[in-house]
Amino acid sequence: MIPSTVRTNLKTALTAITGLRVMDYVPDSTNVPTNNAFAVIGQLSMNYDYTLNRGFDSATCNIIVMVGRMSEKDGQSRLDGLLSSSGSTSIKAAIEADKTLSGAVQTLRVVSASPGTITSASIDYLSYQYSVELIG
Amino acid sequence: MAIFMGNKVAVIVGTSTISSFVSTVSLNREVEAVTITAMNDTVQNMIGGIEVSSISMEIFNDFAAASVNSLFEDKIGEKLAIKLIPVTGTVTATNPSYSMSCLITQWTPISGSTDSAALASVTFPVTALTKATS
Repeated sequence: MIPSTVRTNLKTALTAITGLRVMDYVPDSTNVPTNNAFAVIGQLSMNYDYTLNRGFDSATCNIIVMVGRMSEKDGQSRLDGLLSSSGSTSIKAAIEADKTLSGAVQTLRVVSASPGTITSASIDYLSYQYSVELIG
Repeated sequence: MAIFMGNKVAVIVGTSTISSFVSTVSLNREVEAVTITAMNDTVQNMIGGIEVSSISMEIFNDFAAASVNSLFEDKIGEKLAIKLIPVTGTVTATNPSYSMSCLITQWTPISGSTDSAALASVTFPVTALTKATS
């Protein structure tokens, strides 16, 4: 498993969602447009030696998705669409559409999504943190 | 050789190395304890009987052609040659290989759960076990 390839291919998978701006690195600052969403592919947490003889490793990747300001109804609605387990705006469906990430891993699964807020420039943004388990 | 990690074991089935699909492997060498306790014995007395060794593995399944599923499923009821080397690499006196013939008594082609990769946990009886140092 090559972390940079995994991150790049996760980004590619997420760009299938219309209007979702995706970064495969953690940005210095955020600028979330109204009625739009923003995803950041986080660092990989690696667990080595999933199988014998340096066969495969496992990893967990956190993806942070945020939308407009906390008080905005549109932002909450937008997050509901991203949170759905299926459909054209589903984060889970977009990532799991190709469970090998074009051959970068053996398999993956979007395990969970936890709500929260992220503060940037004194503005609270609605967010979800997704956890993706990868084997490869 | 000193204490070593068990994460470099070579698992060779026939001519195919499947180490990268195996998460755990253990070769259990065992002989039956045959009781020969006589009337005048005050404790149970035993001698070693025949060998009943076995190999246990946890294997991540793969249905690709010539991959692990076909290796085992196609041989159910038959014997397969399996070779283990403690640390992948050259076989020496301090890194001996164990070659054996295993009767494929079981296989788990489907092992589904919502939160883990498909895994077959198997134990096969072993015959013709030989240890080599070169």
